[in-house]
Order: sequence, then structure tokens, then C-alpha cells
Amino acid sequence: MIGAVSGLLLRSVVVLTGTALLTFVLLWNAPGDPALSIAQARYATVVSGDVLEQVRAEAGLDGGFWTAFRGWIEPLLVGDFGQSSVTGRDVWPDLLTAASYTVPLALMGLGIGMVIALPLAILATRRPGSWMDRLAVALASLGAAIPAYWLGLLLILLFAVTLAWLPAMGARTPAHAILPAMTLGFGVAAALTRIIRSGILEARGQSFLPALRRRGVTHRAIGRDHVAPHAAIPVITVFGLELAFLLEGLVMVEVIFARPGLGSFLVSAILARDFPKVQAAVLLTALIFVTINLAIDLIYRVIDPRIGARDA
Amino acid sequence: MTINITDLSAIRSGRTILHPTSLTLAPGERVGLVGASGSGKSTLGHALVDALRAQGRMVAHVPQSPDEALDPLRSMGFHWREAERALGASPDPAERDAIFAALRIDGGDLRKRPWNWSRGMQQRFVIAMALIGKPLLIVLDEPTSALDPVVAANTMELLDTYLSNRRTACLLITHDLGLAARRVERLMVMDGGRIVEDTPTVRLLDAPRTQAARALCAHRNWLALPC
Amino acid sequence: MLTLQNASVMRGRMLTLDDVSLSLAAGRTLAVVGESGAGKSTLIAAVLGLVKLHRGRIAWNDAPVATIRPALVMQEPRAAFNPALNLRRSVMEPLTARRLTPDPVRLARFCDGLELPRDLLDRRPDQVSIGQAQRVGILRALIAAPPLVLFDEPLSALDAVTQKHTARLIAQLQAEEGFAALIVTHDLGYAAAYADDIAVLRAGRLQEVQPAHAFIAAPQTEYGHTLRDAAFALGALEHVA
Repeated sequence: MIGAVSGLLLRSVVVLTGTALLTFVLLWNAPGDPALSIAQARYATVVSGDVLEQVRAEAGLDGGFWTAFRGWIEPLLVGDFGQSSVTGRDVWPDLLTAASYTVPLALMGLGIGMVIALPLAILATRRPGSWMDRLAVALASLGAAIPAYWLGLLLILLFAVTLAWLPAMGARTPAHAILPAMTLGFGVAAALTRIIRSGILEARGQSFLPALRRRGVTHRAIGRDHVAPHAAIPVITVFGLELAFLLEGLVMVEVIFARPGLGSFLVSAILARDFPKVQAAVLLTALIFVTINLAIDLIYRVIDPRIGARDA
Repeated sequence: MTINITDLSAIRSGRTILHPTSLTLAPGERVGLVGASGSGKSTLGHALVDALRAQGRMVAHVPQSPDEALDPLRSMGFHWREAERALGASPDPAERDAIFAALRIDGGDLRKRPWNWSRGMQQRFVIAMALIGKPLLIVLDEPTSALDPVVAANTMELLDTYLSNRRTACLLITHDLGLAARRVERLMVMDGGRIVEDTPTVRLLDAPRTQAARALCAHRNWLALPC
Repeated sequence: MLTLQNASVMRGRMLTLDDVSLSLAAGRTLAVVGESGAGKSTLIAAVLGLVKLHRGRIAWNDAPVATIRPALVMQEPRAAFNPALNLRRSVMEPLTARRLTPDPVRLARFCDGLELPRDLLDRRPDQVSIGQAQRVGILRALIAAPPLVLFDEPLSALDAVTQKHTARLIAQLQAEEGFAALIVTHDLGYAAAYADDIAVLRAGRLQEVQPAHAFIAAPQTEYGHTLRDAAFALGALEHVA
């Protein structure tokens, strides 16, 4: 087990390093002059050649790729995210502020998704092929087909404009989070319903179930003690994969609802070519992703130790 | 108490795989149910167990392979407690230890999951679960075909010893007349979803009346050697 | 003649085949018996050249075994065929792979010998019984006239009566075709009835090799005794007065 965990940790480190390097390369090689973008974001006006060179030197862009990369990664290794090229402010506190908006929203989205998906999937699988089942599948397909930006606008139109029940833009009060969380939650619910439903149906086909029934184990106990753990394995797997889409959806939702958060943090940083901020946001996202996948791998091994044993 | 059941039958997707069948088993009697694959033996076994269970009688079924009886994600101890609960039996460590000792699985670690046990031990554990609460009848469906011969022979021997002078009847389902003939005193031959012959073992081996029984008898072992 | 000299196969740090020496002459039958994990499958893989030998050598008349293209009959009859193809195409594969043309007379003779209806080969694997599928597997193994055929638990998926029937058909074809048969099985009864020699394998090591009748009469090792007694206890072998 310790060997497996250290293997997984090593994998996480490789992923994080790769992500850092790759984003830096992409950003460095993006078309246009980064110094110009930074200067324009900083002064919001046409800048002279001298100012441009000064900005270039300040942002550490004058020494070539490796100098710039080292200038960024070395402080990072001791926990220093550096300063914004545009404002000169420390990146870390700004990043924390952004995350403090995004993380609760993501959790709410996940919560809403789970609250809808789990009962829906369980009801649907009670009798496969029944109208309830077909309704659940239809809802799940619909949810997967509707893009977040469209659903977001639809919800704004209904609840903020027509009914005027909820605020649409910004993040001043907790009520402001309801519509974005619903937008996110429906998308999550659609994906989860499909996975949980097929997970349960697959688990019901396990060859040892008839023997349990014949042994007199109740339907309820079989569902709880045998079907659920078997169904959980594919659900957890796919959930790890779906996470990427959840993060993507978050960026979209924050932009639509004009909310501060990691999404808008990242978008504005990319537009300004603010290397330290982009890198910080990407790295934080990657870290979250890697951590959750690590957790999933460990949960796997607890539910079914054969998964770890096979790798060894 | 004698088991007496009438009119078992089974139809799958419009095809009759078990014609109406009645059978009687005396307490402690050991009966073999033999026939070619597809003759309806397993179906009869399932129907019998389900019908008796519906009457509220204690019966147990041991499937062919331990994979069909044990959840790989659950510990052996969990399976045992679950079986006790399902039978409404209060946990009885003394009975458990006695069964385990008889089937020689007392060394097995109950905290482990099935795949940490050898297949032979798994199968004996499943048989042990079937013996909880002194059932009226235990149905063994091809109990040896998933096991190595040495393990299979040991398992049958241990079960025989445990069941001797107990009131639990035993129905041994197998395609292998050679195996059944050594273990049971009465044989039922199945063919095309019907019991076509039901007679003491000695008489069946001596004078099979039906085509199906003659085929089984003619091919009951690989070699017959002089003593 | 197939010869194994001190053949050893290493898997991880374990020897799954440990210093095994055996020989099998053309037209003869050698049965290798033992429990699961004894190294029977490794032996087959080693003869087919699918695993590397750690030590020793395996040869057919001093040439690599692969040069004579040995055939293999597998345990699970249906799994041995591509489910999407009709059986005829699967059966012809050993020929088409070498751009040989099938001999219709030979094919017809095999179909008769294996008691397969002529039109059966036009069906897909799931449209025939398991017993039929296994006989088609034997047909495929024999179609290109290999001098060596390996049988990996060829009967264990069949019921008792079908087992004996199939074993008899294999023996008849062997008498006509003259191939050497290496049969790996856990069923000592089958080995005793149809093999010339029986080799006992346990934990990768060869315990003993004897002519079949001599082994059944008097196993030389304690484990050999255990195996034989189990075969009697399960009714695979029987003493009659």
C-alpha cells in the first residue's frame, strides 16, 4: 500500500511539472508580443518603445525562455508565486480570493448534481425500461446536450428577468450563487445520472447475486451491501474524468454570471499575458485535479484491493 | 421431515425447459440428479430450492463455482454474518467452528476477501454457509467442476462425513454419473426437461432403462480396472 | 519427435517451469497432468515459443518447434473463435495464412470423422453447441496437417458423455493422421484412457513420467498416488470385480 501511494504521488508530481512546463511553453510561443500586451493592460494606452523595453525587462522577458522559466519556477519551489506583471501585486492573495469564490460554487454545483442524480438513477433502475427509466435517460441526455452558457442564459431569463426572484450578476450575496450553482449542477446531474444508472445496472448483473437471493438475503440488503459498492467503482472512475469538464464549466459559468473567481482570474490574465497569474491559476487547477484523482485512486484501493494488487 | 414437492416447472422465452415435475426426498437421503448439459438439471435445482424457500423451509443451494456465490468486495466474515441474518439464525460461533472444522477451513482468515482464499477453501466455505441452521436439504450444483480433482475429492469426502447421521438431505446435481454413483444411494436421470428415471444407484448402473441413462452408464468412467 | 531438455521458465522471480525434460515421439500421446498452477499452461506456452526459456531447450527433431507450426486446441471452445466470422473462415485460417488452398476431400473426411454436419461450418460460433464448437476447434487444428498438436484441457468445458465421445474422435483422427499429441489436463481419467505416457507436474517440477497403465497401477511418487486416488474417488476411474 505504501509503495502504491508513493507511486501515485510520484505520478502526481510528474503531472504537475509537465503542466507547468507545458503552459509556460504555450504562453511563451503564443502569437504577438507579450510585453506589448502587458504594457497595454498596465497603462491602457499606446506605449512608446522605451516603455515597452522597460516592461520587457521588468517582466523578465528579455533573457530568453529558460531564464524566464527559471525566474518563475525557482521562487515557486519555495512557495512564492511571484507578482503580477501588470499590477505588480502578489499573485497569491489574489489567487486565494478568486478561489474563495470558485470552490464553494463548485461544491454547490456538485452537491446539486448529486442530490438530483442519485435519487433519479436509483428510481430509474428500480425497473429498467419503465417510463421512469426512460424519463431519467432523456433528462440525462438533454442535460448533457445543453451547453452551460445557454442553460445559464435561460435561467437568467426565467428567474432573474421574468420572475425577478433571484439576482443574476455578481457575487455580493449568497443568493447570487444560486443561479450559477444551478447551471453547474444540472450539467453535473446529467453526467452523474448516466454513470450511476449504468453502474447500478452493471452491478446488478454480477454473477453472485442470484446465489445471495437464494440464500435469503433481502432485496434491500443486496442493494446496500453488494450492488452499491460494485456500482461505485465505475461511478468513481468516470467521476474523475468528468472533473475536467466541471472545471471547464466553471470558467464558463463565472463569465456568464460576471462572478469573480478562478475563471475570470484566468481569462483576464491570459488576455494581459500576465505570466505569473496564468501560471498560478493553471497550477492550482492542476493541483486540485491531481489531488482529486489521487483521492479516487486511493478510494478504489479501499473498495477493491485487487486494483492495487494487480498493478504490483 | 420428508420433502415432498409437486409440479415444479420452468419456461424461458416460450420454451419449456422444465416440464411439470414432482419429487420426494427422505430426511438425510442423498440423491443424485444426473443428465447431459442442457437437460434441465440446474433449472430443477433452482426451482426446487425456490419453491421450498417459498414454503418457509430451510434449504440451501451451492452453485457450481465460488465466483457465483461470493462477492469479491466483501470479506468472508461479512458473508457468514449475512447468511446467518438472512436465515434469522442468531450468531452461533460454536456451530460455525464445528462446521469449519469438519470442512477443514478453520485456518481461514475471515477478515480476508474471497480471492485471498484458495478456490478449494472458497468452495468449502460456500458449502459451510449452506449448512448454517441445519437445513432440511442442501442442493449442490456441480460442486466439483470448478475444483482440482484432489481438492474436489477431499471436499466431497468431508461433506459426506459431515452429513452422515444428520437429517439434512442432499441433492447432488452433476453431468458425471461416475461421480454421483460413488456418493449417492438414489439417482434421478434428466433428459429434455424431464426426470426420465428415478431408481436406486445400483439398479440404474445394472440396468438403465432409458436412452439417456444408458448413455450416462456407458460413459460413466474413463477406465474400469480389475480389482 | 518433441524434446524438452531441462526447460525452465521464469515469471517474475518464480520458476513456473523448473527443469522439465520430456520427449514425445511422432504419432504418440503424452498427457501432462497436475493441479491448477502446476505449470501446465506455461508448458504449452513454452512449447509454442510464446514465453522465453530461462534455461534448457525445446526442439522438434533438433529444429525449433515453430518451424513445424504446431496446432493448439483450446479449453473454451466458443472463446477460441472470432464470434463475428462463420466457422468455415476460422477453420481455414491456418491454410489461408500460408496461402494454401483447402483440400475439399480432406475437409469432408474431417467433418465426417468429427461427426460435424456439412452445413455446420457456415454457422457462427454461438449457433452451435459447445461440444460441436470444440470439434470444430479440433478440425481447425488438424486442417493444415501439423505433426504436433497441443491440447489445453480440451474436454473440461464438456459434459461427461460428450467428453468421452470427443476423446474417441480425437484418438481415431490421430490414428489416421499420425500427429503427436501433447495433452494438458487435470483429468487423470482421460490421460489414463488415451495417453501412451503420463507426466505429473507439480509447482513447475516434473514429479514422474511413466507409461499410462504403469502409472495407474503403481504411481512412483506420493503425489502421483494422491492424484490417482482422487480420480478413483471422483469416479473418473473405477475398479470392477
